[in-house]
Amino acid sequence: MTQDISVDTIMQGFAGAGYICSPAIAMTMLLAYKLEKPVLVEGPPGVGKTELAKATASLLHYDLIRLQCYEGLDEAKALYEWKYGKQLLYTQLLKEKLGDLLKGAHDLPSSIERLHEFGDVFYSEDFLEPRPLLQALRAEKGTVLLIDEIDKADHEFESFLLEMLSDYQISIPELGTIKAKRKPIVFLTSNNMRELSDALKRRCLHLYIPFPDAALERSIIQSRVPGVNEQLRDQLVNFVQQLRLRDLKKQPAISETIDWARTLLLLHTDALTPELVESTLNVLLKHEEDIVSVKDDLRGLFAKILPRG
Amino acid sequence: MDRTLVQFIKALRGAGVRTSTAETLDAVAAMQLVGYGNRDYLKQALCTTLAKSHDDQLKFAQIFDQFFSFNRFESFNEPRTESKPNAGTPLQMLQNLFAPTLPPAPAQSPLGQMLLQGNPQQLAVAMAQAADAAQVNQIRVMTQKGLYGRRMMMAMGLEALEQEMFAAEDSADPRQQQLGERLREAREQLRDEVRAYVEKQLLLQAAGESRALRESIMMETRLDNLREFKDTQRLVRKLAKRLVATHSRRRKVYQRGKLDVRTTIRRNIPYSGVLLETHWKTKRIDKPKVMAICDVSGSVSQYARFLLMFLYSLTDVLSNVRAFAFSSNLVEVTELFEQHDLDDAIAATLERIGGGSTDYGRSLNTFAEQCLQQVDHRTTVIMLGDARNNYGEPRIDILQQLHQRSRQLIWLNPEARNRWGSGDSEMKRYQPYCSWAEPCQSLAQLERFISHLLRNNS
Repeated sequence: MTQDISVDTIMQGFAGAGYICSPAIAMTMLLAYKLEKPVLVEGPPGVGKTELAKATASLLHYDLIRLQCYEGLDEAKALYEWKYGKQLLYTQLLKEKLGDLLKGAHDLPSSIERLHEFGDVFYSEDFLEPRPLLQALRAEKGTVLLIDEIDKADHEFESFLLEMLSDYQISIPELGTIKAKRKPIVFLTSNNMRELSDALKRRCLHLYIPFPDAALERSIIQSRVPGVNEQLRDQLVNFVQQLRLRDLKKQPAISETIDWARTLLLLHTDALTPELVESTLNVLLKHEEDIVSVKDDLRGLFAKILPRG
Repeated sequence: MDRTLVQFIKALRGAGVRTSTAETLDAVAAMQLVGYGNRDYLKQALCTTLAKSHDDQLKFAQIFDQFFSFNRFESFNEPRTESKPNAGTPLQMLQNLFAPTLPPAPAQSPLGQMLLQGNPQQLAVAMAQAADAAQVNQIRVMTQKGLYGRRMMMAMGLEALEQEMFAAEDSADPRQQQLGERLREAREQLRDEVRAYVEKQLLLQAAGESRALRESIMMETRLDNLREFKDTQRLVRKLAKRLVATHSRRRKVYQRGKLDVRTTIRRNIPYSGVLLETHWKTKRIDKPKVMAICDVSGSVSQYARFLLMFLYSLTDVLSNVRAFAFSSNLVEVTELFEQHDLDDAIAATLERIGGGSTDYGRSLNTFAEQCLQQVDHRTTVIMLGDARNNYGEPRIDILQQLHQRSRQLIWLNPEARNRWGSGDSEMKRYQPYCSWAEPCQSLAQLERFISHLLRNNS
């Protein structure tokens, strides 16, 4: 990455990587890169929070390390674990060897003395299973660490992350403190299932990604589904924007708009018709009640998006 | 610029955005990186470092626009009223006929010069400096507006301006008189601007603080006096939101370090009994099932109102709230509260059973007949009342049964502890059968109690 990065170069770079973003997103990325701070990304599902991390990784040619959070996630799964199986297998195999080693030691203290000479072989790097966080800290190359859906993890895990987020280091009782070789770019995403702690928020830059406006959504569709012609693109974006104004159980997100555009492309359509929308509505809306309520008012919606027709 | 930023952050905190020192440092670093050239970039950079939730971002945008708005002082470029040649006495008319041909005398005082030249940027800077000197950002309450406005005007050099103005108006020279007139006009305009500036500062600096002060007072006020305050319901909602945030989604606690031996052995049968996989014990946290029995007679009804307000704001973390209200007899009001607005529901409840003398014995009996079967080891029963039974039969045996069947029986009493058992209060006799009994007089106590209820349900 060159020295003179700015909001504009970031936007262009992302566009090249197939991710169309607003200036707000680009500014946050600039600060995250320059200030070396983690970014907490919030927003409704399907607005491209995870996608942002992927695009950053591909833009910088970094590896993406992903940690999916869930209830009950603990440091054994996030940070490191000892390879119990391997340890056990090795002790079983080395049983005979152990006899040889201890030959000549007559009482217990001298055998233990003898064992001490070999150090903690079973608790060395060879038996350490690095999990995503440790991988990110130990990587020689720059990495993008994506901690996905942090709101689904427990409070304890959130507190556990604090050391990592503020100092890019982690303390492991058996090995000591591990510092990052190169500070990774950290993304945390949240769907607002629960309020995150202030301590966590304080350490991060905050980015809220809302649903895009019509112009931005059009350029996203243009970039992701280039086969759709201009007329259809305008129509379908307008339709989705209209849908978002309605009181729905789940609003269609960008990912759903893209899916829908792909569907329409497969059906070789040039323009929207009520019948077509009716039969493909299930791509956009994921709840039966939403589909029914929209179907009832399809004509009204069409009148809004096609003022001439 | 750093000082401006600190003031801005103070305003932000006043509006309820919690901003720490670490975040302020981040903001400074971000500002140095981005520069002050592009307003949008600056706003975005500060937003991403200072506002840490969507709500906060909306507040941030509002405060930013208010704080960094500039008065353009366009009005100073031109005198507000054109002097009309035909106005005034014949003598003035005569003077006016000649006057326009003569340029008015230049002002001598610095402030006068500045005002008459009408350089908006210079004025804005001078005003900001004067505001600094007068410490307008210390303003706390509305009534200080005049004081700070006056101080600001003085700091800008009002005295010299007024002296010149009076002297000019008194002189016989028409050019001087005209100058006096223009100075007076400019002074009025300046006064308006300063007033607007001070008002804006009050809005930014003090609004948040006075709200915080009012809230802290509300927290400690006795609940039956609380109806005089306007936004109690908002405060209760805020408290409830905080409780929900701390207590939601902790349905399962993994106890690392406690081996679940039975499951571990069963899991490892495929490895012929060698313990390869470990399984740790977990603990489930239940959502509390709550039955609230509230005395709604007379003065106690205010307390019941707040308890119910709380319980029904907590539906996210409480699974099953059933509410009963009693005075002389008891009725279930769960449906009322589920279907109606809180205020309506309370009014309807009071209408249905209000009046009549309080009868704890009869009400407890009705409750036992209707619902005793449904009280189980997961139910928390909350009694709210002053236990003043008008010397009737207290039916302590029913309370004892309730205590035995339920997980816990909690009594909230609006009276202070030293009044329990005095007069017709049966509190001392009920108390042995309560898991715990607490006085509950202010919102602070009520919040503490509910937090305890949620925490202790493991």
